Amino acid sequence: MSSSTPSCFLLNTAMSKAKTQQPAVIHKVIMVGSGGVGKSALTLQFMYDEFVEDYEPTKADSYRKKVVLDGEEVQIDILDTAGQEDYAAIRDNYFRSGEGFLCVFSIKEQESFQATQDFREQILRVKNDENIPFLLVGNMVDLAEQRQVSVDEATKRAQEWKVSYVETSAKTRANVDKVFYDLMREIRSRKMEASRQNNGKQKKKKDSRKKKCVIL
Amino acid sequence: MCVEAFSEWKAESGLEEKQEEYVDVFFRMHQWFMTSEELAQAFIDLYQGCDETITCSMVACPHLPINTDCAIQNFKKMICQAVRYWIRKFPLHFDMDTKVTTAVKRLSSLLQAEGNYKLKELVDVSKVPSYDWMRNMSVRNTSWGKHSRKVSLVFNHLEPKELAAQLTYLEYKAFRRVHFSDYKNYAVSASLKDQPKLERSIALFNGLSQWVQCMVLSKTTPQQRADVICKFIDVSKHLRVLQNFNTLMAIVGGLTHSALARLSKTISCLPPEAQKTLMDLTELLSSNNNFSNYRKVYHQCCGFKIPILGVHLKDLISLHTALPDRVDGNLLNFRKMAQLAVILRELTRLQGQDNIPVDANMDLVNTLRLSLDLYHTEDEIYELSLAREPRGSLSSPTTPTKPVVFADWLSGISPPDPNTINKHVHDMVEAVFKNYDHDKDGFISHEEFESIAGNFPFIDSFCVLDADKDGMISKREMKTYFIRANSHALRNSFKHAFHETTYFKPTFCIHCTGLLWGIIKQGWKCKDCGINAHKHCKDLVVMECRSKGSKRTESMSNVYLNPGVGPHDLTITAKRKISQRHQKRSSPSHTCQQSTQTEGVVMRRTSSLRVMNSSAGTQHNHRDVAIIDGEYYEEQALLYERLLKAEEAREKLIEENSRLRSKLEVANDQISLLKSHIGVIRQNTIAFILEQMDALHMQRDTEV
Repeated sequence: MSSSTPSCFLLNTAMSKAKTQQPAVIHKVIMVGSGGVGKSALTLQFMYDEFVEDYEPTKADSYRKKVVLDGEEVQIDILDTAGQEDYAAIRDNYFRSGEGFLCVFSIKEQESFQATQDFREQILRVKNDENIPFLLVGNMVDLAEQRQVSVDEATKRAQEWKVSYVETSAKTRANVDKVFYDLMREIRSRKMEASRQNNGKQKKKKDSRKKKCVIL
Repeated sequence: MCVEAFSEWKAESGLEEKQEEYVDVFFRMHQWFMTSEELAQAFIDLYQGCDETITCSMVACPHLPINTDCAIQNFKKMICQAVRYWIRKFPLHFDMDTKVTTAVKRLSSLLQAEGNYKLKELVDVSKVPSYDWMRNMSVRNTSWGKHSRKVSLVFNHLEPKELAAQLTYLEYKAFRRVHFSDYKNYAVSASLKDQPKLERSIALFNGLSQWVQCMVLSKTTPQQRADVICKFIDVSKHLRVLQNFNTLMAIVGGLTHSALARLSKTISCLPPEAQKTLMDLTELLSSNNNFSNYRKVYHQCCGFKIPILGVHLKDLISLHTALPDRVDGNLLNFRKMAQLAVILRELTRLQGQDNIPVDANMDLVNTLRLSLDLYHTEDEIYELSLAREPRGSLSSPTTPTKPVVFADWLSGISPPDPNTINKHVHDMVEAVFKNYDHDKDGFISHEEFESIAGNFPFIDSFCVLDADKDGMISKREMKTYFIRANSHALRNSFKHAFHETTYFKPTFCIHCTGLLWGIIKQGWKCKDCGINAHKHCKDLVVMECRSKGSKRTESMSNVYLNPGVGPHDLTITAKRKISQRHQKRSSPSHTCQQSTQTEGVVMRRTSSLRVMNSSAGTQHNHRDVAIIDGEYYEEQALLYERLLKAEEAREKLIEENSRLRSKLEVANDQISLLKSHIGVIRQNTIAFILEQMDALHMQRDTEV
């Protein structure tokens, strides 16, 4: 499952290009899941490849990063809901701003896997969109000996939801880049589809006008 | 141990060099990395071991306390000064944890044994002030509570400013109790288990948000709902002035929750300036750019303020995850310590604010506290929202709705424990009686009750509270009701033993008052108390299971069949059923529907005596209907459609209620007219119904 090498390559190119221009496209990703499943760890691993000494969590841009996604420079904006899992009331409001969701659970905690069902439902309710970019992420795969949630179980749920399932480890960095890049690809194709539909509508309107002209 | 020794070394040299900052951070934060007891023990070990670790430069030094130039003695002195600094600056650590106190006492006796009396005085822990209030969940601070000012306790009359002030008071009380260890455990374990203070604070936050949603959704028309939203927007404005960001977040979060945001009809009733204010506030609190708007404004604010706890919790967790506890072998990561200290020092400082700019009105606080304790799930509220303004047919259906599972969402948050609730209920009821029992006779009359009910979106009618049906609510009755209502939310002592039942006569649902339709297994009946409900309503029934009073409950639901029952037994529900029955009887004929509806309305408003008359009048009708009910149900689809129509009409009626009341005179005339109608109908019922049946059959045939 480890396909982090191509992603790492992409990342490096991102670094070199980053200074040249301001990317216009921003993909908004939201990390959801119960407390203690490693949402922050995944986010931080992705944001800062290596160990950061003076990490400052209150800065405005500490969750934003420029990356190259299949040759195109984009920005990713991650909202980490850690620490606010229990503030159920505002969770709804967070979800609204998201374009894609990483739904994280810990493979060594059955409860956190059960909770993903609720998160999924709430997200669908808020977004009112069955095809919202969404990835089911089983974290802490480095602690496989304590595994409580089987791959089959998780894959089955992912299939039910028609999303993909990826197992990660924030500690060993396995698949960390993969989940973020996969999700960004989904968001991108989703956005393209939306704009194409808009164009399509306009075209249709033109067509109907043309037809009218013919009739007249 | 090496780590701690190193840190202490630094701490001590810091003390001598007057590096206050460093030492402060160390003592403030040590609990993040170890327990205070461990730290105290480390000091003792250091003290005992210093004979070997430190070499005294003086020749032939006996290392006695009198030798002031002895390096070992100086070192011992430094240790004691460090401990003294700890005791003086953070007495809280010693008061909250007896183990560390014992450890320091051990050091003290060690000094005693060495005859080091001067140093012993430095580590005296006996004068530590008490922090009792931190330990208890809710000790009342009496200095704020003395107010004879009489304020209306009713939401509708309450000034937004007053409400904002009292909410701030509640919030601050919950916030100041959250302790260092709560923050730490939450950041490390990400679970609320065994952290009741933080849990209480979060429960208050969620309760408030839900209360906002419920208050809005409890109104029936879009305009009324918009008015409530406006009021809460006003409250938010005042909260912003008070710099209470946490409560502001809870209310704005409630107002922009999808359960309210989807109510397009209601939103369109909002005045533009209210919409703009709400948008500005949402912008202020938005999570964009890592809450940059909030952070900016927050840092500009001076004086009393309450931070959004969740945001700072997130910062703590991120820091904790990003930076390791120990670096360079086994040394404490001081950079992490310092960064955490920045956040925690600020939080502790804010908790110590004594310039709270609001006067508490304990009566109001108690009422609010109880309102906020009433516990609903996200799904329940959303379903209520769907019921108020159903989804447009165009929007695609979302998730397949699964049955409402109680307390499913907030698995981390348990509802407040029964003792807390009992206490809150007690305080609230006392407050209500103090302010609303105008004649001081210890009972709440019907009129007095109406004005209170506005605070509680889903309170039952007067009759439900008045358990002994004497027309008055006593203190005991009200307490019992609220405690039951709460335990209903907890779903433990409130279960009905429902089982599927086939009814042989028309029966109505206790919850929605609609007919239990079908030929067999029309509904569910409780084995113990005998109440009946639809399958989909049975989980929503807000009536306690009174197994002993089963007969009375049954007679209540059948009251329209038995006019002999005392007039007080006629509940609103029963009256509504009668009016419904009228509609159903008249809807096939389409002749006098309007007038019948009017009568229904009037009936609900007039004295129970008149209702009794009417119900006596309908009794015959009812029997007739019962005879042919079997045939009726063959036309199930048609009937159900009609039933829906009738229920729709009922909804409309309730809305038109107030307008129609002004037309009471006209309506009375219509009643007398209608009474003669009833007479005629009664005589011709059989023929009439047969006619009906034929018509229906024909209708069906043509459809087929």
